[in-house]
Amino acid sequence: MKNFFDILQVYVRLWMAFIVLFHMDFHCVFSVCFYCYCAAGEENRSAPTGASVFTFQAMKRSKKMAQMVRFVSTTPHRLRKRISAPNLRSDSDSDFSPSNSEEEEGDEDDVEKRKCSEAQPKPPGTSSAAAAAVCKTPTKRSKTAPEVGSRPNLVEEYFEAHSSSKVLTSDRTLQKLQTPKLDRETLFRLLDGKPSCYGEEIDHLNKKHEKNFSKWMLQLQMGFNILLYGLGSKKHLLETFRTTMLSSCMHLVVNGFFPSITLKSILNAITSEVLEHDGSFRSPMDQIDFIVKTLKNDPDSHVYLIVHNIDGPMLRGENTQQALGQLASIPNMHLLASIDHINAPLVWDHSKMSVFNWLWYETTTFIPYMEETSYENSLLVQQTGALALSSLTHVLRSLTPNARGIFRLLAEFQLENKDNPSYTGLSFQDFYQRSREAFLVNSDITLRTQLTEFRDHKLIRTKKGADGVEYLTIPVDAGTLTDFLEKEDVE
Amino acid sequence: MTTSSVSKGCFVFKPDLKKRKRTVDIEEYFVDADDDCSYGRERFSICRSLWEKIKTDTEILQDELNKKILDSLLEFIKKCTSSFQCRSDEWSCLMRASEIPTAALVLGVNVPDHDMTFQSLSDLLQESVTPFAVSVQAKECSGMPKSNLMQKLLERLMGVRVTEEEYEEDPSLSGVPLQQKRVSCSIGALCQWYKAVTNVRKHIKFSPGKYCSLENDVLQCPPIVVIFKDFEAFNPHVLQDFIFICSRYIQELPLLLVFGIATSPCTIQHMLPHSVSSLLCIELFQSLSCTQHLATVIDKLILTAEFPFKLSGKVLQVLVNIFLYHDFSVRNFVKGLQLALLEHFHSQPLSVLCCKKKHALLNAQKLSHQHLEMLRQLPSFMRYVEAQEPQEQVQLLTSDKYVKEVCQKLLKDIRKYHKNYYCILRCLSSLTSSLPKYPLGKHIRELHMSCLERNIWETNEYESAIQLLRLLAKDELVATLKKFVFVLSQYLYSTIPFNARIWFWNKYTMLCPLGMHVEDVSEGITPLGKDLQKKTDLFHLQKTLLEMKGSRRTKKMTPFEMLKNEALDFIDCFVRSHLSPPELQPLHEVCYYSSSGFLRQHLNATPRTSIQTALSQPFYYLQNENLKTDAGTVSSSAPDICIVYKLHLECGRLINLYDWLEAYATVVSGAEGKDPDSEEYGKVDELKHARFIKAVSELEFLGFVKSTKQKTDHVARLTWGGC
Repeated sequence: MKNFFDILQVYVRLWMAFIVLFHMDFHCVFSVCFYCYCAAGEENRSAPTGASVFTFQAMKRSKKMAQMVRFVSTTPHRLRKRISAPNLRSDSDSDFSPSNSEEEEGDEDDVEKRKCSEAQPKPPGTSSAAAAAVCKTPTKRSKTAPEVGSRPNLVEEYFEAHSSSKVLTSDRTLQKLQTPKLDRETLFRLLDGKPSCYGEEIDHLNKKHEKNFSKWMLQLQMGFNILLYGLGSKKHLLETFRTTMLSSCMHLVVNGFFPSITLKSILNAITSEVLEHDGSFRSPMDQIDFIVKTLKNDPDSHVYLIVHNIDGPMLRGENTQQALGQLASIPNMHLLASIDHINAPLVWDHSKMSVFNWLWYETTTFIPYMEETSYENSLLVQQTGALALSSLTHVLRSLTPNARGIFRLLAEFQLENKDNPSYTGLSFQDFYQRSREAFLVNSDITLRTQLTEFRDHKLIRTKKGADGVEYLTIPVDAGTLTDFLEKEDVE
Repeated sequence: MTTSSVSKGCFVFKPDLKKRKRTVDIEEYFVDADDDCSYGRERFSICRSLWEKIKTDTEILQDELNKKILDSLLEFIKKCTSSFQCRSDEWSCLMRASEIPTAALVLGVNVPDHDMTFQSLSDLLQESVTPFAVSVQAKECSGMPKSNLMQKLLERLMGVRVTEEEYEEDPSLSGVPLQQKRVSCSIGALCQWYKAVTNVRKHIKFSPGKYCSLENDVLQCPPIVVIFKDFEAFNPHVLQDFIFICSRYIQELPLLLVFGIATSPCTIQHMLPHSVSSLLCIELFQSLSCTQHLATVIDKLILTAEFPFKLSGKVLQVLVNIFLYHDFSVRNFVKGLQLALLEHFHSQPLSVLCCKKKHALLNAQKLSHQHLEMLRQLPSFMRYVEAQEPQEQVQLLTSDKYVKEVCQKLLKDIRKYHKNYYCILRCLSSLTSSLPKYPLGKHIRELHMSCLERNIWETNEYESAIQLLRLLAKDELVATLKKFVFVLSQYLYSTIPFNARIWFWNKYTMLCPLGMHVEDVSEGITPLGKDLQKKTDLFHLQKTLLEMKGSRRTKKMTPFEMLKNEALDFIDCFVRSHLSPPELQPLHEVCYYSSSGFLRQHLNATPRTSIQTALSQPFYYLQNENLKTDAGTVSSSAPDICIVYKLHLECGRLINLYDWLEAYATVVSGAEGKDPDSEEYGKVDELKHARFIKAVSELEFLGFVKSTKQKTDHVARLTWGGC
């Protein structure tokens, strides 16, 4: 029986390695390998430290974090692992079990020993796949078995997390906190008061990047475009560049992280304000053609385009990037941009890369992404709703009064029905009737255009009902919506 | 004016007209880099002229390489055009009447390079065949099916101004394009327009009567050539409809299609069903492979003494690797070269000596004291000094004038070295590139790179290559030596001693007839072999074999073998004296760019690695003692985002925000130095909450987690891979 399981295990492993090789994106795999390689080199520098080091392992044993990561395992592979390698399993299991919580943190010796045992090269068949172990000792492992060791563990870690549809985490919610909700103002007030740590080093880091400014100018002039990447907000750096180097040149700043930035607004800014052309264009294509032609005819005028977060959610689209690439390839248009998302380079394929003609600069600044994340309405919404509210108002403020009225209609209807559990939304026909009665639209096409705009900004969501009719809802909770209406009323 | 706003994402800054600089002085930025030295301008102008030369040279190269395929394509188009004109009643012609002549141009996956090819193709077409050559790209014709494609096509075609005179003669025609834009876009309209245009043309061209007949025909009814630049990217339905409609009009409209294909000709079958592809008469044209293209570029730009600027082995390796493993794009290779050039002249003050001989000597004469000091600091120069007599050493270190002289001499030496180097490199490559298993590489660039790195004659590969050469059969050896001599004779300017060449030539000429002679000898041997076959008796066989063995052992070296050894030794000695790596040359820093890391960092960056390093090892960027930790751990006083990131790595697919927050609070309390037993320890206060929120939203912004609705107050983890 045991033999059978062994064979089974080998099969499962082979299969998994195969799948992962094809499914995980290669960039990830390579960067991980490269990272391990870097880390191995880095290790020589770092020496053991004193008590100020807080090892996470120790913390885990004492704290509940440990309890929340536990998976229900159903696959034969995992079952097998428990049977075949009980000692290894128990070793890593102890990390998760609360019974060890009596052990004091700072028990460095124990931690070291544990690490050593984990770092020992294990035969690939029996290597324990404890997710935590992989995180803790990437460098040691990569040193002992850089190629063979890392891949199966990557594989196992991935499958460990995705092996079953159920994930066991604790049921506690943020409601348990004394202050479950922090609104935007309090957040900023609290963070403003806090002194930034390592200010000196961060300054030093940024000074180092600023030394490159004249080189950037040179390279921009030679036809390259500059792309900044690395942890930390690069807005400040680019702003400094703008104020020091570009004060006497025509330039354009685009906030790619701005939630309602569109290609059209960028192009319009160029044609109407930079090139001083009034007149409309039939399509963005025409507009770009016009820009290319105008700038070609005037090779002496240089236009600098600074795009903060060219990987911003609104600029990620294929067509937008294509258009930006076309702009970037104009000889006297110079582009500086920054990216932050870890998968940002996937936005460009080879031909786009070559139109952009990027020079990559690593500018890790460690400056918090205050402005970039202030628009974001996802995580904080769940906690406070304040951001959703502010984004609602921000977006609506840029719309016409009629559009605001339309949105208001929908919001009010939704509030009226907030206690109705079977409420699915307002059907399009009804909505059209109501808007018409309120003199907000004159045809259903106008309404549809409006709705498209709302949908683009994620203000509304449409769902097809059982009868095939579209139902519209606002994906915001009732409290926020009430706040919003009140605020609108005040204005 | 600030650039942050809650209602706007675009900010335009226009300086006053007075302040605005019309022309930007690029040199200014060049000088800026090192304000303490002069010559910034000189360096920049050298750099720019070199770059211009590289650019034009690559363009010329590309044209030359494409010439063959473009010529055959043009030939094809001309042939088709003439067949349009003389439609006879032949059966075969009628058969083909409804087929649209199509050229499938297979160009390879290096899409960025195609632009130049298409540009020269359409230029050529405009010049010699037809003014009606239109190229369309898939990205322009996306959106609504077909109508966009037709619209683009008509716009571009009718926008073509046929010739100036026509407009003068027939002013009504000039109105046509504008009108058509508003009128429906159909092939019918195109037909009418074409007829109108050609009628006018006929009218004009016939009256002077100065063209010969065939040419006249072509000019009378120039074909309409539609180039699909990226065939694969088009919507198949659009193409199918387009081709179907066109085939209906082919009698009236001489239409020609060109498909630019990146992958393989099968894509035509994949994209077009048989009913459509049978309407096309496809001829295939295969372009040169991109590796061949690269080889030519390297041959012309890098393996030549003409360019004073050189790349070190590692840099070249990086550029070639990017080419081979990432994009196959020659354009990007040249871009890398440009970057290296720019960086070399920007960072190396002594690069002012890296130019044409005359200028370099002149510049060496003008070097300032500061520059000479820098020159003395060069490692290669220091090595050179150490090798000199003590008295001379003193002079080199003290007298500026003397250093200038020596510098000039060394510059001359290095030029001489380069001339010989490339000559011998090519010769050696001609010998070894055809050896079995290619011990020294198949391409000359591989040989070049290994020569740049170490003494080639000390490597095992070289040894085995020479061994293989010794083992070559005489006719093969003679053939390779012939190549060698041919390559050598091409380099007349090289300073390899003339008498040495003559000597080698003599050996070679002696070798040739000997080779023939040996052939005779071997023919003499074969009858013996035949004898062998005849004798079936085992004893006799053994005896003869033993005899043969003995005779072989005692056999003296034939004159052929002696000559062969002599020739190979001579080549070996050539290699030893001329193919030493450039690092040994004094002043090699002046013309060699060696920072491969810089190129890799800026051309082939890994943003994700950098972010993950910053998150898991902040000490790498922020050199603060507090952040120094063991590998794999993060100091508890690290920036919030690092701690939050580290904690999230220990979680599974979903992360409970509350637990995460609590774990974070515990870590941060530890960093604040609170007593672990106290009540306060690990408690979540407002500030910690706020910091946590910030850190989590930053992680979300970076793409490590995303919010999920699966469970209240949970986020989903998005990355795997244990760093």
